[in-house]
Amino acid sequence: MTETKTLLIVDDEIQIRRLLEISLSTYGYNTVFATSGKEGLVAAATHSPALIILDLGLPDIDGMTLLKKLREWYAKPVIVLSVRSSEEDIINALDNGANDYLTKPFRSGELVARIRAAIRLSEEKKDTPLIEFGSVAIDILNHVVRKNGEIVKLTSTEYSLLTLLAKNSGRVLTHQFILKEIWGYGYLEQTQYLRVFVAQLRKKIEDDPARPVLLITESGIGYRFGS
Amino acid sequence: MTGKETSPLEGIFRHIYPYLLVVLIIGLTTLACIPLSNLQSYHIVSFILLFVVAILAVFLGIGPVLLASTMSAIAWNYFFIPPFHTFHIAKTEDRLMFISFFIIALLNGILTNRIRRQERLVRAREDETNALFQLTGELSKTRGIDGVMKVAGEDFRKHFGAEAWFIIQDGNNNLLLPSVDTDNLATDKPDPEILNWVFSNRKKAGRYTGTMSETTLTYYPLTGARISPGAVAFKIDEHRFRNKDIFWDTYCTHIANALEREFLGEMGIKARVLDESDRFYGTLFNLISHEFRIPIAAIMGASDTLMLAETSEKNREELYGEIFKASARLNQLTENLLNMSRIESGRISLRLDWHDVNDLFHRATQSLKQELEPFRLLIVVPDDMPLVRIDFALMEHVLINLLLNSSQHARPGTTLKLEASYRRNNLILNISDNGPGFPPEALPRLFDKFFRVEGSLAGGLGLGLSIVKGLVDVHKGTVAVRNNDNGGAQFTITIPSKLPDMNHLNLTE
Repeated sequence: MTETKTLLIVDDEIQIRRLLEISLSTYGYNTVFATSGKEGLVAAATHSPALIILDLGLPDIDGMTLLKKLREWYAKPVIVLSVRSSEEDIINALDNGANDYLTKPFRSGELVARIRAAIRLSEEKKDTPLIEFGSVAIDILNHVVRKNGEIVKLTSTEYSLLTLLAKNSGRVLTHQFILKEIWGYGYLEQTQYLRVFVAQLRKKIEDDPARPVLLITESGIGYRFGS
Repeated sequence: MTGKETSPLEGIFRHIYPYLLVVLIIGLTTLACIPLSNLQSYHIVSFILLFVVAILAVFLGIGPVLLASTMSAIAWNYFFIPPFHTFHIAKTEDRLMFISFFIIALLNGILTNRIRRQERLVRAREDETNALFQLTGELSKTRGIDGVMKVAGEDFRKHFGAEAWFIIQDGNNNLLLPSVDTDNLATDKPDPEILNWVFSNRKKAGRYTGTMSETTLTYYPLTGARISPGAVAFKIDEHRFRNKDIFWDTYCTHIANALEREFLGEMGIKARVLDESDRFYGTLFNLISHEFRIPIAAIMGASDTLMLAETSEKNREELYGEIFKASARLNQLTENLLNMSRIESGRISLRLDWHDVNDLFHRATQSLKQELEPFRLLIVVPDDMPLVRIDFALMEHVLINLLLNSSQHARPGTTLKLEASYRRNNLILNISDNGPGFPPEALPRLFDKFFRVEGSLAGGLGLGLSIVKGLVDVHKGTVAVRNNDNGGAQFTITIPSKLPDMNHLNLTE
């Protein structure tokens, strides 16, 4: 790591703040804290952190409202860390601009992996001509996908789906988002189409389609590419 | 011509018809007897006429019978008693005979008529007794308030051709009145005011009763020995109701008693449910105090030791492991309790969507990677397995609980099998292991809350399998368990799932 990144943690629980301070510093991150929504808004403006870890249950304003307010100007990643574990909450947070979502209790190793992925994704240039994941390489410039060096024949829908996911690798894309991007607004309820294409795509790019490592299912929420 | 103009005429005709019939038949009989009109045979004619009057009395009411007797006496006198064609009777013995003929005809007619009426009454009473017997028989076989109302309603229809409405109280002596259909006031509907009056005064009212009788329905209170379950309203023909107070009191009391029995039964069930929930919380607190304290003790003890400077590096590492294991166990316990309470309170919302069973199996086995490590995992999904409509997260939880259960009971190194199939609009999931299976006596209770197999090594609250059942129930599915012939337990989950609409899907695009 070339420079020490500053992370803002918005959480009203002292135990969680202490825990995050200790474990994140072990991984080389600098941490600043806010214990309420208002404090969080101020801290985000003054410290301009590389990433914000946001609790949803805040004493003054609801975390979801804070997330929306932050997203009016704050472009860097936000990871929601909450005890709320329902799929509605998760999808809602992702739709409101959260880059990732982790439920408490969590493993610090997992949290750090998500932080790294989110920061890397936000810093990567979006128009990289070549995306590589293990044995799979996507040549965006020439619309060609190779697995172990050999060209994989994809239909145009499969190709759009793969590139959409790959360009957002490490990030959970909700079903609705993918359906809207690939098929359009009229198809938001047609999850069955998405399932069929995901299954087809897995057969073409995964080593073992029954145990996918690239195209990962996020239970009831969506898909994540690589991790 | 409209019905209104013809019906009074018809009424009159129906009224005078028996008299006309009497005139006709007596007239014809007299005519037929004319050839016999000589001095010797007029006695025979009297017998014939008496016979005809008796026959008429079997079929007709008292008025026509009186007419028949009078007419036949006159006809006999006029046509057959000498001197013929006069009302004068010459011989004293003939005069006596005429008077006795008239009396015999009259008595004959009246008695036959009375016997017939009596017989009709007996038959009606028999019908009523039958109705009562049948009602009692059927009611004693019926369970549940709705069941009783259905049986009683059918009985009303069958025996009296009557429509009946039963209105039940809510347990606090308020009738659960049917909503008033304002668009359709013309049809017969029980009047809430009369119902309430009948219910609170425990008296009948409505048609034929003398109280508020200007309505179309008759209202009876349903009064049992201890409580009043409600009231009944019915529409019935007058002849089936008038002067049958005792019968109708008995009939309604029978229904009331059956309803009271069910009512008290259900209240008893409610009391039992409350009692059960008391016991539920008792068990819960016992289990929580035990199951939660152990990992908490482990965490406190281990961290306490870690704070001591002299703890060796090797011990430290082990203690860290213990803390992690204990917290994972606490997490699992909390998760199970939360899920159980969500299921119990009915607050689980089902998010049905199309899913790939391969995905489901993969996710479930993935999250139990460590626990499943010692086993050989066999996953069978047919190539043509369709997408199924389930709540992915809930079903993942179901599989995790079942796999955890198997992993705790089966020997390391044996095979755990996950199998999916699709048959007759149902998703079928089989989860089997090669463990020792369950003791047969435990099988029926496996899905009960807090049930733990006697002597089972695994700790826990005994909630895992009841959560499985709860989550499958939410899917309107079933879960069954049996011991395999070759050892091991097999869980079978069946969940109704239609096929997805793929009409507009083009796979080659």
